[in-house]
Amino acid sequence: MRRGVDFWTFVLVAAFAVIAVLLAWPLLGVFEASVTDNRTGALTFANFAQVLGQPAYRTALLNSLLVGAGGMAGAMLLGIPLAVLTTRYVIFGRDALATFAVLALVSPPFIGAYAWIMMLGANGWMRAFLADLGIGLPPIYGFFGILLVFSLKFYPFVFLLTASGLRAISPSVEEAAESLGAGPWRRFFKVTLPLVFPAVTSGALLAFVLSIADFGTPSIVGGKVRLLATTAYNLYTSEMGGNPGLASATSVVLIAVCLAVVAVQRWAVRRREVAGSLVRRPQPVRLSPLASAAAHAVCYAIVLAGSLPSLVVIWTSFRKTRGPVFHPGYGLDSYTKIVGEVPHVIANSFTYSVAAVLLIVVLGTLVGYVLARRETKATGLLDSLLLVPYIVPGVVMGLAFVVTFNVPPLQITGTAAIIVLMLFVRRLPYAVRSAASILKQIKGGIEEAALSLGAPPGRAFAKVTLPLMLPGVVAGALMSFITAINELSSSLILYVGRTMTMPVRIYLSVLDGEFGTASALSTILLAASGLAVFVVLRISDRKEGEFV
Amino acid sequence: MKLRTITVVALGAASLAAPALAQQRVSVYTAHTANIVERLIPEFEKATGIKADVVKAGSGDIVNRTRAEAANPKCDVIWSIGAELLEANTDLLEPYQPKEAAMIADAFRTSGAWLPYTGILNVFVVNTKKLKPEEYPRTWTDLGQPRFKGQVSMADAEKSGSAYMQLNTFLTIYGDKQPGWDRFKPVFANLNVSNSSGAVPRFVNDGEAAVGVTLEDNAYLYLKNGGPVAIVYPEDGTSAIADGMALCKRAPNAAAGKAFIDWALSAPVQDMVVQELGRRPIRKDAKPLAALKPMGEIKLVKYNIKNAADKRQEYLEKWRALMLAR
Repeated sequence: MRRGVDFWTFVLVAAFAVIAVLLAWPLLGVFEASVTDNRTGALTFANFAQVLGQPAYRTALLNSLLVGAGGMAGAMLLGIPLAVLTTRYVIFGRDALATFAVLALVSPPFIGAYAWIMMLGANGWMRAFLADLGIGLPPIYGFFGILLVFSLKFYPFVFLLTASGLRAISPSVEEAAESLGAGPWRRFFKVTLPLVFPAVTSGALLAFVLSIADFGTPSIVGGKVRLLATTAYNLYTSEMGGNPGLASATSVVLIAVCLAVVAVQRWAVRRREVAGSLVRRPQPVRLSPLASAAAHAVCYAIVLAGSLPSLVVIWTSFRKTRGPVFHPGYGLDSYTKIVGEVPHVIANSFTYSVAAVLLIVVLGTLVGYVLARRETKATGLLDSLLLVPYIVPGVVMGLAFVVTFNVPPLQITGTAAIIVLMLFVRRLPYAVRSAASILKQIKGGIEEAALSLGAPPGRAFAKVTLPLMLPGVVAGALMSFITAINELSSSLILYVGRTMTMPVRIYLSVLDGEFGTASALSTILLAASGLAVFVVLRISDRKEGEFV
Repeated sequence: MKLRTITVVALGAASLAAPALAQQRVSVYTAHTANIVERLIPEFEKATGIKADVVKAGSGDIVNRTRAEAANPKCDVIWSIGAELLEANTDLLEPYQPKEAAMIADAFRTSGAWLPYTGILNVFVVNTKKLKPEEYPRTWTDLGQPRFKGQVSMADAEKSGSAYMQLNTFLTIYGDKQPGWDRFKPVFANLNVSNSSGAVPRFVNDGEAAVGVTLEDNAYLYLKNGGPVAIVYPEDGTSAIADGMALCKRAPNAAAGKAFIDWALSAPVQDMVVQELGRRPIRKDAKPLAALKPMGEIKLVKYNIKNAADKRQEYLEKWRALMLAR
């Protein structure tokens, strides 16, 4: 491929500029705080000594690794089978399944965990029901609870990325294996799986990173399990002004762990560029009745389990209430309480998320392309840097933003812009990863043909490669949107009365113990995002069809 | 080029910020629960014609946030957060003498950097389906009995102003030296620590915990609405103190902030917070709520706000050590 200054050089420069302003600059403060003594302001490594040396913190680190690995394993266990079954075989209601799977991500933070408490808590109805059947379960609080919630919360990432990867595999590769005498299992493990490996591991990586950075779920269902993320959050938000040094050191360790995992994933996909020219897309196969029934059962069971918290939330929103107390019967009490403020808050949520996603899609797709097609030191660095935003806990990013952007030259606290920029930088990696992982499967040959026929690089990209990458771009945009509209921890620190978003409002209700209004708000958010997801899936499906 | 159009649209949407200020506004940071905010803020807007922008957060978050913004303050009024938290952060506050200062009951007078807003009381809330009246905990130390293992809900003292107050009440009764902390240990061992005090009566109401340590008005909200809960006043004593409000230092809309404070101290508003929300009155002329136990029948300890503020660091470090050792 050509080297030198061209369109893609500008993309790289733009990406580095974004990272410098929105990431490096704010986070520099965090690193500085981690090596600063809180009282004297002198340079010190005592904070790190404490985080890595004290047994309580070491336990937290170990627990975080366990939770990350467990959440990732659970997400893969659910996400990969679902992706394989829905892309390879005729599954009735595939769009609806995909929509519900994605909606598991929309179930706003906190309320989803509370829904699990309503089901499997000390007084949970599902636990009581299972006990009646002779299945005695302990209450959800603890390791098991965290892993259960994480697996069901993060499997859609693995599912979405794997599915988009599977859809980009040329059937001819598998057909070749078949004609060479490989049986279906052998074909799957020796041919298909290696081909989707980059996509699967990207999803798994997300599940891992999100599992260890999430503080909301463990603080609700975690019982006494101590994790790095909850420790950092507690240190940052404690009333005595927190312990910025120790909190920053904890965050830095968290970031380092995630970067290490990222390095492993990058190393693992390094030699996996077995791309084929995608001239036709694979068609779903019809299964025998028995196998089909089993496949349907598996798919629906996974999606149902993932949707349970949302279903509980919807049901709760229609229960009759007086004040915060639920009474027998159903009604719209919870909705009438919130009717006045909802339009404004919903409008905020959608405006900010859509604005951020538009920015993300543009830059994310272009950067994803550069990362996949130009493996230089600069792109390697960029790839690693781009993981930082979703590794850094939202609280940390939020506070870093407040401190950095509350004073000139870029004084934007209290505006919508700061929230949009935060969403943009925090969710950019989803689109980048998604675009890059699909590109790893698309051979560069077609584009090179366009280039050699005289098309400028930008045009060759837009006319040839972009249409082929579209499923990955759409998947990335969707994930960015879903996670942006559900963003809580950083918005909580950046919002002012005018710029309140739905998750913030929901969180505040949950904190007050107002589960009725929180559920009603969540239901509205679910419905709105569900519609968006369904429409996008529909559109992208038709688009895919155009290239078959 | 299409991409450029999209970028322009996105940037346009991103800069929807800062609409023109057509009317007088006040920016209020509060730890009040949302239902109270929604009940009272429209009353304020109706009474004064000022539009209120409310930021609702835990009291710790409010202080951290105000401090983070100190170079360019966004906050006009801090409304309803713990007294000792205000006392410990007077550098963020601007003293203000309200119009009706003379009406504040002597018991609630403050150092002047901040103002009392309502009286609050720490109590136990119990689930009446899980516990019979003879099984209710009667004293703070009862909470440490083995039968309440994992059954006591309380918020994290590092995050919740009321939880810090509750810890402090215990230490006021049993001493803040080692023997006092030793008596607190079994209580702590029984705790389910939650992130916010508002969720404590929720857990008790739902049967996730049998007992909660909470503010009287939070418990009263569930009691009033027919939840299976009862309020228990500890026999070894409890604390009744003011939660406060204050004008922020270099408040961008200081005049509107002062109007807010005057409104919050006015007789009709104070009557509303007492009769509807179950707070204890701070005005000399206010009537107490009949449904709650009269103050005279509750054993109170002398709660030293100044000490609570001064010892904050020390107490919370010990609390954190307990949390880390779990």
